[in-house]
Amino acid sequence: MKRKILNCAAVGLLLVSLLFGTAACGSSGQQPSAGGNGSTQGSADKPTLVVVNWKDYGSDNPEAVQKFESENNCKIVHEYMASEEELLTKLRTGGVGKLDVVLPNPQILPTAIKEGLLEELDTSKLSNYPNVYDKFKKLPESSMGGKTYAVPWVWGSTGIAYNTKLIKEDINSVNVLWDQKYKGFIGFRDDFNDAVMTAAIALGQDPNNPSDLNAIKNKLKEQKPLNKTYWKTGDEWSKFFANEQITVGLMWSGQSASMKKAGQPIKYVVPKEGAIGWVDYWAVVKNAPHKDLAVKFVDYMISEGFQKDWVSKGGPAPVNKVVADSLSEDFKKDAGITEDILNRLYFISYHDEEVKKAWNELWQEVKAE
Amino acid sequence: MAKKIIGWFYSIIILIFFYAPVAVLMAMSFNKSRYGALPFEFSTEWYRVLFSNQKLIQAALDSLAIAAVTAVLCVVLGTAMMLGQREFNSRVKAFFNSLVVFPLVIPWIILGLSLLLLLRALGLDRNYAMLLIGHVVVSFPYAVMVIGARLEDMNSEIQEASYNLGANEWTTFKRITLPMLSPAMLAGGFLAFMISFDNFVLSYFLIPTGKTTLPIEIYSSIKFGFTPEINAISSIILAATLLMITVIAVLMRSSLMRMFK
Amino acid sequence: MKKKALLVSPAMFILIAFAVVPLFIMLYFSFISDGGVPGFTLENYARFFSKPLYLALTWKTIKMSALVTLISILVGYPMAYIIAKIIKSGREILLLLIIIPFWSSQLVRAYSWMNLLRDGGILQDFLAKLHLFKGGELGILFTQTAVIIGLVHIFCPYMIITSYMTLEKIDDSVLEASKSLGANPITTFLRVILPMSKAGIVTGAILIFVPCLGSFVEPRILGGVNGSVIGTVIQDQFFEIYGWNFGAAIAFILLAMVLVSMGVMSAVNRRGEENG
Repeated sequence: MKRKILNCAAVGLLLVSLLFGTAACGSSGQQPSAGGNGSTQGSADKPTLVVVNWKDYGSDNPEAVQKFESENNCKIVHEYMASEEELLTKLRTGGVGKLDVVLPNPQILPTAIKEGLLEELDTSKLSNYPNVYDKFKKLPESSMGGKTYAVPWVWGSTGIAYNTKLIKEDINSVNVLWDQKYKGFIGFRDDFNDAVMTAAIALGQDPNNPSDLNAIKNKLKEQKPLNKTYWKTGDEWSKFFANEQITVGLMWSGQSASMKKAGQPIKYVVPKEGAIGWVDYWAVVKNAPHKDLAVKFVDYMISEGFQKDWVSKGGPAPVNKVVADSLSEDFKKDAGITEDILNRLYFISYHDEEVKKAWNELWQEVKAE
Repeated sequence: MAKKIIGWFYSIIILIFFYAPVAVLMAMSFNKSRYGALPFEFSTEWYRVLFSNQKLIQAALDSLAIAAVTAVLCVVLGTAMMLGQREFNSRVKAFFNSLVVFPLVIPWIILGLSLLLLLRALGLDRNYAMLLIGHVVVSFPYAVMVIGARLEDMNSEIQEASYNLGANEWTTFKRITLPMLSPAMLAGGFLAFMISFDNFVLSYFLIPTGKTTLPIEIYSSIKFGFTPEINAISSIILAATLLMITVIAVLMRSSLMRMFK
Repeated sequence: MKKKALLVSPAMFILIAFAVVPLFIMLYFSFISDGGVPGFTLENYARFFSKPLYLALTWKTIKMSALVTLISILVGYPMAYIIAKIIKSGREILLLLIIIPFWSSQLVRAYSWMNLLRDGGILQDFLAKLHLFKGGELGILFTQTAVIIGLVHIFCPYMIITSYMTLEKIDDSVLEASKSLGANPITTFLRVILPMSKAGIVTGAILIFVPCLGSFVEPRILGGVNGSVIGTVIQDQFFEIYGWNFGAAIAFILLAMVLVSMGVMSAVNRRGEENG
């Protein structure tokens, strides 16, 4: 008898959560554009623009979204990506003709353009394009055969960040990652690109075209025992750092800035030897359901208003010259986004599959030693 | 009696082990630091943030619904399969068993991508039906194996006897088999629920555009770091479940009282 | 064949249509070249066996999974026995209590372990308060030990549940009969209880060992610089580089290993039953 009561109760538990859930689904179904399996349902009144980006990365800021939605009488839906390679998967497996705007980086841009996954852009339709730094426009990955397919959005670097409460000296060299003094407190990044390129910088090789992979492998093996751990995601870094598990390591300029804003004793430097630079681009997907709106969205993303707002909230460096010029020198120095720094960066260029495979395997070997 | 004391002692140690990380998770939802830094500073900030984040709450509710449907489907399919396969010889059974472990071995990412490619081949958009199928496939081994362990060596003489006494199949199932299997069906259902509720990869590849689940929200956040509102919503779900169990326990109070006699 | 046999068909249909058939797509991928050159090739499989790296990681993963399985049996089986045969009253509640902590994100729980196990973390504080730990650093986080703790935590409940399902079925009168026939508790356990609950242990071991082979979250977060396992390599092939072909090949090698060892086990089992 007891067992029966219990079983009924447990079944009840499952059913309650079921009802709870479906009721919730039902209520959400009344919102426009939700429900069913079509992304374009409810588009009779308002077009729905589908944007693929990292989560919490500027374009999904509720205020920014709302501003664009009300100005253009549309709705923005975000889909999140799990990695760059996975964005390519998304585009290849049904993204074309469904998604509108995506955020590819130079590692996948040439492939995506070659496979015809992206729409050619008429930059004259982008009112804010003339304000974008020429340096970024000229990077080779965003165009092919004289046609432009992607628009630079923000940039930053992967340099050294350290805890100013626990480390009193001024750090300015990448060799700190090989410094015995910090053994057990270093956090190197678990990423084959960052690893190979950083070791190349330390060895004085060209990070985008390293001459001696064997030396790089040995350099990385030498570095390995000095680490507390390798970090993979920004989330790990911030938790390890805040708990003082890691006091110095490889880090992104953008996240350092936002952690500093949140009160962490973190300082970001671009080492004198140089650092890895990166640029994020917006691109419009081939046969995008709302092509004109997509172009408008890209234009909005590089506008003064949006770029200024994001950088002031701790976002990465703006590509809009007008915005960059309006920032104070001190602010730019702190965030690692001065012209001087810009010139010391090695921007990640496209590497073909063979190179990526070789680098990845090299890194796997270092980790597995 | 001494046995009972040792038994309870051991159980409590195991429960402490199981609940330790969950307790930390709950504590962190009340910690002021967004990075989970200590020393602990009490704050209800993250609950306030959570309640203004409709999207996250909706994601959690959708995840609960998906997990509940998955659990029910897994239990029904699993029970049917286990009852049916008793009719086959051991070679065929071995074949069935190896089919069941497929989803345990194959990384979910491969299964997710395969199902996505299948959808493409069928010319369909990503949809909830395929998402549920994916969840059922990966949760199924857990449910079916628990039910199978229970059914193993369950002597069929009782059932035979029941037939001989003139009971039909349905009566036999309802009176003999079901009561025998119900604990395993429940446990299997709860396990399937748990697998589905935390599944990121399959949901990620198969969910319709603009929709989301709790694991998708969590895993998409780790590039830059998720805030403790994730801890807050997990704590609410856990606390609500524990509360329901307490209610059940109170319903059974008398049997708990008997324990101390 | 009785019509009851038809009961397997819905489950079989779903498994074949939505697990096996789609996997053939991936199997196909594993036999074409990474470079996109059309045509059949064994290079992905050859690559796995030609590099000591992948074999070493696979061996490491197998050892790790075996250890996790063994610890889960040693920890979980007694728990199942206690619930089924000693505590008895309120045992369903206890079982539920064991499952509930897992209705939360694996990732979030891994971070909780980090907070617990790290140097100067919660566990160290706690041990220091009990005067069980003096000075220095705890040194658990970012070691293999931390990974094992994290994995046992996740997988142990399966062992408890499957063992419980078989133990609870054993009639108390059987145990009393054994006792009254003069068997001591150890003999009763070895000759009666263990054989009768073997199915539960085996099922639990499969549910632990097999998924453990593919685990990657705990090894990476809790394992520090030596956290690489074969699961992280597979994951990288899909998320870091466009290495579907190689990633799929590794997965199918693992699948083949599991199916072969299961086949051997069930053959041995059958022979044992026929001879016994």
